[in-house]
Amino acid sequence: MTSGTLSLTEIPHPPEPETTRKEGGEGGREADPLLRVSLDHFQGPLDLLLHLIRKQDIDIFDIPVAKITAQFLEMIRGVERLELEKAGEFIEMAATLVRIKAQMLFPRKVEEEYDDPRADLVRRLLEYEHFREVARVLDGAERARQKTWRKGYVQLRPRPAALDLPLETGWAEVESATKALAARLARPEPGYRFQSRPVRMEEKIEHILLVLMERARVEFSALVSPWGTRMHAVMSLLACLELAKRSTLSLRQESPFATLWVYRKDDPDAA
Amino acid sequence: MRPDRMVEALLFASEAPLSAADLARVDESLNEDLVEEIIAGLREEYESTDRAFGIVEIAGGYQILTRPEYAFVLDRFETVPTTARLSAAALETLAIIAYRQPVGRAEVEEIRGVSAGGVLKTLAERNLIEVVARGEGLGRPLLYGTTRFFLEHFGFRTLAELPRSDELDVILADRTADA
Repeated sequence: MTSGTLSLTEIPHPPEPETTRKEGGEGGREADPLLRVSLDHFQGPLDLLLHLIRKQDIDIFDIPVAKITAQFLEMIRGVERLELEKAGEFIEMAATLVRIKAQMLFPRKVEEEYDDPRADLVRRLLEYEHFREVARVLDGAERARQKTWRKGYVQLRPRPAALDLPLETGWAEVESATKALAARLARPEPGYRFQSRPVRMEEKIEHILLVLMERARVEFSALVSPWGTRMHAVMSLLACLELAKRSTLSLRQESPFATLWVYRKDDPDAA
Repeated sequence: MRPDRMVEALLFASEAPLSAADLARVDESLNEDLVEEIIAGLREEYESTDRAFGIVEIAGGYQILTRPEYAFVLDRFETVPTTARLSAAALETLAIIAYRQPVGRAEVEEIRGVSAGGVLKTLAERNLIEVVARGEGLGRPLLYGTTRFFLEHFGFRTLAELPRSDELDVILADRTADA
């Protein structure tokens, strides 16, 4: 229920003079379940009027206007709490009902051609009831249709982003990971380290020969720079010394700590 | 090539209803009568083999749709879009437009006894109604009619499938009182 809802049972009100009307059977109106319905349940004043008429098995072609008007006014008590437009619609209908009620009281001659002041309202009620019924048929059709799907209606399941996935790691896994780490730390550290892949001097010899096939000389640092580790530098130097010993290359350095050049031996410049 | 399989292939691949004329147009061996005969045969075939889908006549065409008995399976599948149902106000307004089209806002409001602006806007946004003409008179009001999607949404073949007054569960027979 919204704040704009009117529930008659919530509003205590003393009996008012205008509620005592000539129609009988209205005494216990407050307890009447017919009137204990929130206005929000109705699509508008016509819907409410039809509710009153149909629930009481009233002949729609002979509406007891005074009785219905009283009930209608009772129902829309507090209507001003609804939004303005909605309230206006109910109040307009109330005015129409009161006008018809007044017209019904005018004296008339029996033989006179009589225009029933209720006629237009009855026409509207029947017309509205017709469409309300069609709306019900549409509702049923919509329900039925929504139980069937056309091809392509089911989309491919989108891959959820990793962050959206629920975390599946439990405490048991955290605990076992902690234990494994503790066990590894408890193991005595080995007194030695070894390279996962040892660098062999033969490899360096091959590499140097390959480089010197393209160029007459090369800086020693250029031979080492692709790897840069101390072990590669040592092995490269050993390879150079070995090749120098085999007389396939010569080494030249202008001064201590200057650039060390590696020359191809068949190069006449390097003699 | 079997003509019934050609029709079946088209119906299978289509996301929207195809009319008998649409289907007949794809091959010179087909005509509308033959297409309808084929569809009757396919329907029988699907029914006798208890398929989860059937051929439904909808919005002036034919469409393969899953059978309602399997709605629960599709409801479980989370990528099936949940379809919001229309409100009572929307349904009443649609009912009036379906019967009275082309119809303007004033008449809709007169019949329902409440204002209709918001509902009309919603229905147009949902492609259930559209402006089909402009009325005579002051300001040449917009006149609305239902769309083809309206038929698809409610599963109607044509507008004629909407119930006639005498089929409704209300007393409308004697209208002499409003003479």
